[in-house]
Amino acid sequence: MSNANVAFVLNAHLPFVRHPEYPRFLEEDWLFESISESYLPLLRMLNRLKEEGLSFQLTISFSPPLIAMLTDNALQNRFVHYLQQHIELGQKEVQRCKDEQPQFLEMAQHYLDGYIRNLHEYEDLYRMNILDGFKALEQSGHLELITTAATHAYLPLYEEYPQAINAQIELGVQSFLTTFGHPPKGFWLPECGYYPGLEEHLKYHGIKWFQVASQSMLLSPDKATYGGYRPVRCPNGVAAFPRDYQATSLVWSNTTGYPTDNVYREFYRDIGYDLSMNYIRPYIHEPEVRVFTGYKYWAITGDTDQKVPYVRAQAMERVKEHAKNFHYVVNNRNHRLRATMGGAQPLFFLGFDAELFGHWWYEGIDWLEEVIRTSKDRTKLVTPSSFLAEDATPLQTVRPAFSSWGQGGYSAAWLDGSNTEYYRHIHKAITRMEELATRFPDQTSLKQRFLNQAAREVLLAMSSDWPFIIYCRTSVEYAKKRIEGHLKNVNLVYDDMCKNAVDTEWLVKAEKRHTIFGDIDYNIFNSERI
Amino acid sequence: MILINIDSLSTNELQHIAQMEGLKGWKTLDRDELISALEDWFEEMDEGGIPVGNGHGTYGRYTNNLTNHRGKAAHFKDLPRTGELPPSYYDSTIHLLLRDPQWAYAYWSLPETIQGNKTSFDDEDHSGESYVIRVHQTELATGTTTSSDIAVEVKDQEWNIHLPALGCSYSVELCRLHPDGNEEVVARSASVETYLPYWADRIEELAMDRDLFLLHFSSLVTKTGEVAENVVLKDLALTVSKGVLS
Repeated sequence: MSNANVAFVLNAHLPFVRHPEYPRFLEEDWLFESISESYLPLLRMLNRLKEEGLSFQLTISFSPPLIAMLTDNALQNRFVHYLQQHIELGQKEVQRCKDEQPQFLEMAQHYLDGYIRNLHEYEDLYRMNILDGFKALEQSGHLELITTAATHAYLPLYEEYPQAINAQIELGVQSFLTTFGHPPKGFWLPECGYYPGLEEHLKYHGIKWFQVASQSMLLSPDKATYGGYRPVRCPNGVAAFPRDYQATSLVWSNTTGYPTDNVYREFYRDIGYDLSMNYIRPYIHEPEVRVFTGYKYWAITGDTDQKVPYVRAQAMERVKEHAKNFHYVVNNRNHRLRATMGGAQPLFFLGFDAELFGHWWYEGIDWLEEVIRTSKDRTKLVTPSSFLAEDATPLQTVRPAFSSWGQGGYSAAWLDGSNTEYYRHIHKAITRMEELATRFPDQTSLKQRFLNQAAREVLLAMSSDWPFIIYCRTSVEYAKKRIEGHLKNVNLVYDDMCKNAVDTEWLVKAEKRHTIFGDIDYNIFNSERI
Repeated sequence: MILINIDSLSTNELQHIAQMEGLKGWKTLDRDELISALEDWFEEMDEGGIPVGNGHGTYGRYTNNLTNHRGKAAHFKDLPRTGELPPSYYDSTIHLLLRDPQWAYAYWSLPETIQGNKTSFDDEDHSGESYVIRVHQTELATGTTTSSDIAVEVKDQEWNIHLPALGCSYSVELCRLHPDGNEEVVARSASVETYLPYWADRIEELAMDRDLFLLHFSSLVTKTGEVAENVVLKDLALTVSKGVLS
C-alpha cells in the first residue's frame, strides 16, 4: 500500500506590535509568548530530527510583520529581558513548589529549564535572529519557506483595489527575498481568503502555488475530478492546494481535536491569575494587570474549574496515541481514495497557524515530532513544491470558488457588524494613497519619506488581525486604536500633501513608531506604474 | 476579553475579568454568579451572545486567541495632529462587498449626510428628497437583469443586501429621488459575482455514488460528521445525505 502524502503548512504570523515608547507594552507579549513557546521549541525539535538523520519536509510561511519584529533590535532586547524575568520567576516557583505545592515541582522545573534553554539558544546559537535557524533548515532541504501578504490583509475585501492587492503581494515577496535570499514559490493566502482572479496578481509576482479553503473545490463552477484531494491549476497556471478540512480538524477542532484531550495542559489556568498579587506583582504588568506567565500546572480535565494536576508523562503517552491515530486516519483514507483515483496520488494538505503548536496546544510540537518520527513507511511528508515537482499526474485546470477558512466559510468574520465601519475608511485611505502616488510620483527627501510613511500606514490598516480581533472581542480596544491610528495618519499625510506641506515632527515620530518595510517605495500605489 | 472555556477559568481570573469590565459587585459574586454575570454582560454588549462561548463551536484562527491582558488599562497615544476619523467623506460613492454568496454589504457616502439637508456643501436644499438603493441582479448564464429598490434615509450609510440566487452578478446604485418625480443616480458600485457550483444541480449524482461522495465530500466532514461551516455547503450536505449530515 502506498503511503499517504501529507503536506503540513504552518502560517507563522503576528500583527506588527512595537511600542518602544513604553518601558513595557502588554501586546508585545504576543510576540514573546510565540517565540518562547512556539518558534524556539519548533526549531529545537526540527534540528533534533535533522541531527538524527530523519527524513521530513514541512512548509512554513513567515509573514512580513513577523519577520520585521523578529529582526527588530529593540524587540530582540526586550525578548531577552522577558526570558530573564521568566527565569527569575521560575527559580522562585521551584522554591515555592518545594515548600508549598510539591505536586507542581516537576512542571515548575520543566518550565524553568525551557526558559533557560530558550535564552541560551536565542543569544548564543541564533544571535537573536531565529530566522537564521529556519533558513538553515530550508537550505538542508527540510523546510520550504514561503511568504504571505505584506500585512496579512484579508484580500477578498480589497478586490476593488488592485493596486492595494498588488502592494500586499509585492511587498510580501520583497520581504521574503530580502530575508531569505531567494524568491518564494508559495504564497499563504491570509485566512485562506480567495476570490476568483486573485491568482493573476500572484502569477505576476512569480508565485507558483497558494492554498485555498477546503470547500473551494466542491463549490467551484467546474468539476474538480479529484475533489479536495489534489491540487489544481487555475486557468492561468498557478497551482491551488485545497486544505483538507477533515484531517485538519483532527488537530484544529476545539471540540473534538487532539488538543482538547483532558490529560493535556490547560491553557487558561496560570499562576499569573492564581497566585497572590504580592507574589506575582513583579512579573505582571503595571499597575496590577494580571497576565499569563506561562507557568501552568493543571490539566484540561473537562468543563470544570476543579482541575487535576497536569502529569507530563501521561500527556506524552497521549501524544503517541494521537500521532498513531493521525497516521491511521490519513492512511486509511488514502487507501480508499487511491482505489477511486485511477492512479493519481491523493495529497492531504494541512494548514495551521504555527502558534497553535506549543503556545496554545502545549503538547503540539511533541505531537508533530512524534508524527514525523513515526512517519517512516507510513506517511510521506511533502511540501507543495516537492509534490508538484515529483508528481507525474498532470494537474486539472479548475477555477476555485470564493472562500476562506473563517466562520461561515467566506468573509463574515472580517465583515461583521462589529467591524464594517472601518472599510469605508480603509478603502478611502487606499484611494487617497493611490491619488498621492499618482499626483506626486518619484518625490525625494522629506516628501518621499512622508509618502512612504503614508504607504506603511495604509498597509498596516489593512491587516486582517484588527477586524478579526474586534469580531472575536479579544483585544478590541487595542485593535480599534491601531486601525484608527493608521487611518488618521494617512488622512494627515493626505491633507498636508494637498497643502504642499510636510509635518516633520509627525514624520519623525511615525517613522520611529512603525519601522516595518524600511525600504518601501510609495510609488507601489501608483496605478500608472503597472 | 478571553471567553473561550469560560467554565474552566479560575475564580480569580473571572474576578479579574469582571473587574476589568467594570461589573458592579464583582467582589461579592461566587464563581457561578460571575460566569452568569459575565455572560449576561457580553450578551448585552453585543446583543448576539458570546461568539465563542464555553469553548465550543468552530473558531477561525488560534492566533487571535492570544492573550488579552489589558482589559480597560490605558492605551498608547495617537501621533500629534491626527484628529478624529470623519463619519464619512465628502463624495458620492457606493461600494458593495461580498460577505458570502447570500449577503453583501453596501456602504456609501453622500455630502448631505454629513452636512444635513439644508447645509449641503453644494448649497442646495436637499430636504424633500428621498433615496433608494437600487439592486441590479444579472443572471450570468442568460444575461437577464432584474432590479429592486430599497428605501433608505439620508442618515443611512450602509445596508446589508440579500442576494437571492447563485450564478448572478450584483451591483447597486444610490439614487436620489426629487420631489418632482425625477430621479438621479448619484453613485454606482462595482459588481460582485456569485457562481453556481458545478454540483448544485447534480447533487443526486453525488448522493448515489459512494466514490464520488468520498472524493468530493469526505474532506469536508469531520470524524464526528460535522460539515465544514458554509451556508452553501450545508444546503448541499443536507440534500446529499438526506438529512444525515448537517
